[in-house]
Amino acid sequence: MLSLNGVFAGYGGGSVLQGVDLECGKQSITCIVGPNGAGKSTVLRVISGLLRPSKGEVSMDGEPIGHHAPDEILRKGITQVPQSHALFPAMSVHENVLMGGYLIRKDRKLLRERLDRVKDRVPIVAARAQEHAGNLSGGQRRMVEIARCLMLDPKVILLDEPSLGLDPRSLAGVADLIHELHQAGTTVLLVEQNVRLGLGLATHGVVMEGGKVRLTGTAAEIRDHPEISSLYLGGGAGPRVASGP
Amino acid sequence: MTHLVQAITLGLLIGGVYALMASGLTLIFGVMRIINIAQGAFLVLVAMLTWWLWHETGIDPILASVVTTPLMFGFGWVVYRLMISRIRGSSASMSVLLTFGFALVIEGVLNVVAGNKFRSATPSYFEESFRVGEISLPKAQVFGFLAAMAVLGALYFVLTRTWTGRAIRAATQNPSGAALVGVGATGTAALAFAIGSATTGVGGSILSVLYPFFPASHYDWISRLLGIVVLGGMGSLPGALAGAAILGLAETLTATYGSLGWSTLVFYVVIMAVLLIRPQGLFGAKLREDAV
Repeated sequence: MLSLNGVFAGYGGGSVLQGVDLECGKQSITCIVGPNGAGKSTVLRVISGLLRPSKGEVSMDGEPIGHHAPDEILRKGITQVPQSHALFPAMSVHENVLMGGYLIRKDRKLLRERLDRVKDRVPIVAARAQEHAGNLSGGQRRMVEIARCLMLDPKVILLDEPSLGLDPRSLAGVADLIHELHQAGTTVLLVEQNVRLGLGLATHGVVMEGGKVRLTGTAAEIRDHPEISSLYLGGGAGPRVASGP
Repeated sequence: MTHLVQAITLGLLIGGVYALMASGLTLIFGVMRIINIAQGAFLVLVAMLTWWLWHETGIDPILASVVTTPLMFGFGWVVYRLMISRIRGSSASMSVLLTFGFALVIEGVLNVVAGNKFRSATPSYFEESFRVGEISLPKAQVFGFLAAMAVLGALYFVLTRTWTGRAIRAATQNPSGAALVGVGATGTAALAFAIGSATTGVGGSILSVLYPFFPASHYDWISRLLGIVVLGGMGSLPGALAGAAILGLAETLTATYGSLGWSTLVFYVVIMAVLLIRPQGLFGAKLREDAV
């Protein structure tokens, strides 16, 4: 469904991504794990069009999208929830979610339907409608961010570190929501520092290191891989590796 | 007591006009982080154009804004596309240099075309006043205030009730977040600059009646406007309203109880005092610390 072939991309001349090959199957939850600086978030920025690849191709259902502007990528059904600071802090929760439907603003009926559906799915949208988004807690903000991207009824959701800064209860709420989206047929690509949580949620896993994909497989395969288990999950499953990246 | 009520009323009337003039500056800064030093020159340019229209056709100067506002909208759009867009992403100081240069160009052109002399549009009601009990309200200031409030109301409506306004506010608060929902940065910035410039279409027309002006008057105006937006909080519209009201009141109260010469100085003293306590200005964005 979504694939990257030999993608190079970076900031200010240098390439963070050094030839990334990645495949996300339809209705899968793929989790990218890897150390800081591996290029995980950069992959998401390239897919959502915020960063253009210098080489290689990104495609969705076989159609190249690597050089599209962010709004064109949104129209293809790919939305992103970045690591932090995605909301408009001085706008109300209602307005923030409404802005998620900016591209369908001319179809008022569709807009209203989507808003109602999002309210049903993410209760905080109705419960805190008039509150300024900047006054929400980290967990509440993350829910509103996801709710906002649902306004376009996306085929693919890109989630960057959904667990960042969340307490266990908020985390469970976010995990449930991701699970529900998957059940409803949405493809999810997420980047997660919390490897145990990420691979626990995911159907597939990708390990990145130094701007390249080092390992791919089902989430269970990645979780049980001796090296991964040792490096990221605190060991136990296999032989320990002498030196890490 | 009558003196006090009179001073406060006049202060608020003038403050309303200042608010309109400052709203464009703060809107442009909010969306683009561009400090448009030429906003004062835009005002004087419109004042000159209004004076000329009034002088040649006898049209009411404040009503002339029906002509000058769309003109300034188009002017702002073109200036953004041809000039300002080239420094997008540069520091705010770069915008100060560029727009200061542009202000000097406008001043130079006005000097050549219209000459370096004071002008003022003086419609028939120029020296008339409304009387409410003991209070006397100069008609020109009342009409200017009403026009300013009407435009500010329209601006508020556009910003809060339309998709264009939401897109502008979204881009003001979080440019990358706006891109993620499909708000194009360039189009929104051009629109905000055009709207910000259009406010001078009305502001300049009012200025032509209330204050004598000449090409170099823009230095005085941009100082006041910058003072207002810094006091209110850069980029905040409610802040511009509050800052403008404070400037208006500081001027009339000082002129009533002190002397005219001190009236502007008092405002700048107030700015310094406020900034010592609240460096972000009266309405500078401060929500939760970790919000954008």
